[in-house]
Amino acid sequence: MSKVSIIIGREYAERVKKKSFIFTTILMPLFMLALMAVPALIVAMGGTETRTVTVVDPDGVVAPQLVDTDNVKFVIATAGTDTVAASADDDATLLFIPQGIVEGDKPLRLVTGKAASMMLENEISSQIERIVEGERMKLYDIDVKSIMAAVESNLSVNTVRTDRDTVGSSTMSYALGFILTFLLYMMLLLYGQMVMTSIIEEKNNRVLEVIVSSVKPTRLMLGKIAGIGLVAVTQIVIWGVLIVGLSAAVMPALLPADVAADITAMNSGAGTLAQSNLDTDLLSALALIADPMYILGIFGILLLFLIGGFLLYAAIYAAIGSAVDNIQDASQLQTVAVLPIILGIVFGMMAATDPVSNISVWTSIIPFTSPMVMMSRIPYGIPTWQIVTSLVVLYATFAACVWVAAKIYRVGIFMYGKKPTFKELIRWARYK
Amino acid sequence: MNILEVDRVSKQYSGHKALDNVSLSVPEGSVYGLLGPNGAGKTTLIRIINHITAPDSGSVTFDGHALTEADMPHIGYLPEERGLYKKMTVGEQAVFFARLKGLSRSEATVRLREWFDRFGISDWWGRKVEELSKGMAQKVQFIVTVLHRPKLLIFDEPFSGFDPINANLLRDEILRLRDEGSTIIFSTHNMSSVEEICDHITLINRSRNILSGRVDELRSRWADGHYSITFSDADPVTLMEALAPMAGSFSTSADTRGRHTLDLRLLPGATLRDVIARANEASTIHAVNEAVASMNDIFISAVKANGGDTPAPVIS
Repeated sequence: MSKVSIIIGREYAERVKKKSFIFTTILMPLFMLALMAVPALIVAMGGTETRTVTVVDPDGVVAPQLVDTDNVKFVIATAGTDTVAASADDDATLLFIPQGIVEGDKPLRLVTGKAASMMLENEISSQIERIVEGERMKLYDIDVKSIMAAVESNLSVNTVRTDRDTVGSSTMSYALGFILTFLLYMMLLLYGQMVMTSIIEEKNNRVLEVIVSSVKPTRLMLGKIAGIGLVAVTQIVIWGVLIVGLSAAVMPALLPADVAADITAMNSGAGTLAQSNLDTDLLSALALIADPMYILGIFGILLLFLIGGFLLYAAIYAAIGSAVDNIQDASQLQTVAVLPIILGIVFGMMAATDPVSNISVWTSIIPFTSPMVMMSRIPYGIPTWQIVTSLVVLYATFAACVWVAAKIYRVGIFMYGKKPTFKELIRWARYK
Repeated sequence: MNILEVDRVSKQYSGHKALDNVSLSVPEGSVYGLLGPNGAGKTTLIRIINHITAPDSGSVTFDGHALTEADMPHIGYLPEERGLYKKMTVGEQAVFFARLKGLSRSEATVRLREWFDRFGISDWWGRKVEELSKGMAQKVQFIVTVLHRPKLLIFDEPFSGFDPINANLLRDEILRLRDEGSTIIFSTHNMSSVEEICDHITLINRSRNILSGRVDELRSRWADGHYSITFSDADPVTLMEALAPMAGSFSTSADTRGRHTLDLRLLPGATLRDVIARANEASTIHAVNEAVASMNDIFISAVKANGGDTPAPVIS
């Protein structure tokens, strides 16, 4: 067994056995699934308890026009104000509409035995406002209802890609791109810094001095990067498997039959969206989540960019970690790594809104920002050559970076005391 | 036969020369002391011998061939600044280091159990390193260094951090390893430990090798012509004046019983017999001894002669 693989094994086992790793790895997908399940749950359950409101309307104009909703059911009182008020249960909800409300605004009175919810108040006031406005317009011979029915519009865009045979809205691509970019940003920062702190720790407690007599410093560095990288990959793969598995298993059960049918129709490519009574965005979102092959494809590319990005930044972080004695000293040098990662997420967010602008295309090929920007573009579907070019450039840059980093590392791990400057790092890289 | 030959090795770091044309030969089976004040270049030399850093010029020959990476499993190195992974258990960690030196997991475990038994630390196996005291960790590090039975063992200040009892245990183990065929290099500025166990030394000062040789030869060379006379019934100054034509480099000390000791060095052409005869006329002689130079004296005068700052060797 080669020495590098022994190093990789140790780095890997040390982290994967940690409780915090197991915890976050299992909990994260559950959390994400919960987030994704929210739209499904809204569709499935929609709202809370229905309250019955007894309406007392002396004019008899407003009350008949009130419409029952999922939350509120209106009952028109037959008796007069005083009788209703006297005979009502303690926890009944009574709505008193003042006389002459059409002629001039007067406050409504809601009497209730339990707390009135914000939603209830909003529902009542908006309905009555609309009714009163309509009545007032009638005074000018304007029939708002029929005019609005003719005028009202609620459009959505269904983009039909000529280069692919899918129909869907960009909202889902945007959201997915956003999430993936953020995920990559998090992983690069987290795992990159893990490489750095672990090297600083080894240097600090002088384990390095012992190990280098068995393993060449360069191999030690590579082993560490590979070991920690494997941990990141393990985590992502477990997440992927859990999310795909759970969404395949749980989603159909959560969705009402008609929604599920729409999704099946959509995934099978039939353009029946027009007939659906559901919002297109919501439906396409649900359709994607319920499609394991799509998620798997995205995960494959995510993995490639995660590995490439991680290797690149880990090399930089390793060089920084080797050069300093403690985390405090690292903060200044760290900007070299943190700044491009932050730029990456900024450009990534931009690319999520406009994936084909020049800046988005270029920053998704420039290696330091490419992993994050590319991930926000990929859900939109982009030319394969761009993905391939970006990957090639990324891995080539990693190779160059790791070569320089190894040279700095070799010298840096034996330097104690003074915090080095960038100039010194460059000089170390030139030592024989 | 020499197991290690260092031939005109130089190493330059930015703005300072860590090693300047250093050569030395370590005979197989010897205990070799690598001495020198702090910052003299010992650690750099050891790193080159360990194939951790490469020399700018010069060559290192190990066991008859140019030193390569393949020789790393035949060398064991206990650095002065040494540490262990705090979160790993002792056993797991020891196996890890042993595997890096080329042992299989099972063989490493068998050998480690043996060593742990001998050191009486078997119950540490499952404990985390962070629970160990410094001395305990040092024992583990020592075992890890020698476990793969290397031909060449390099110890950098091995006794620092050990109490006298454990230091003795360690010294005995090191000598046992020598008897089993390993060659030992000691890097230290602790002279007393050198006198006890080293048979060869090299003294490095200001990046150069300023003194090399067998310990007994060096000591007798430095002792040559040095004597001390213990006497009474005379004033030290009077005696010095009486002996002045045949000896020099006087220094005196007195004890509580009115006796004095005069250290001196024979001048060329003078004999000990003449000196004793003259001293016998001037005083009552209680003892005449050949003064044996301690390694400490040799160290200090060699470094001084080399123009270095006066070092402060640690004497324990």
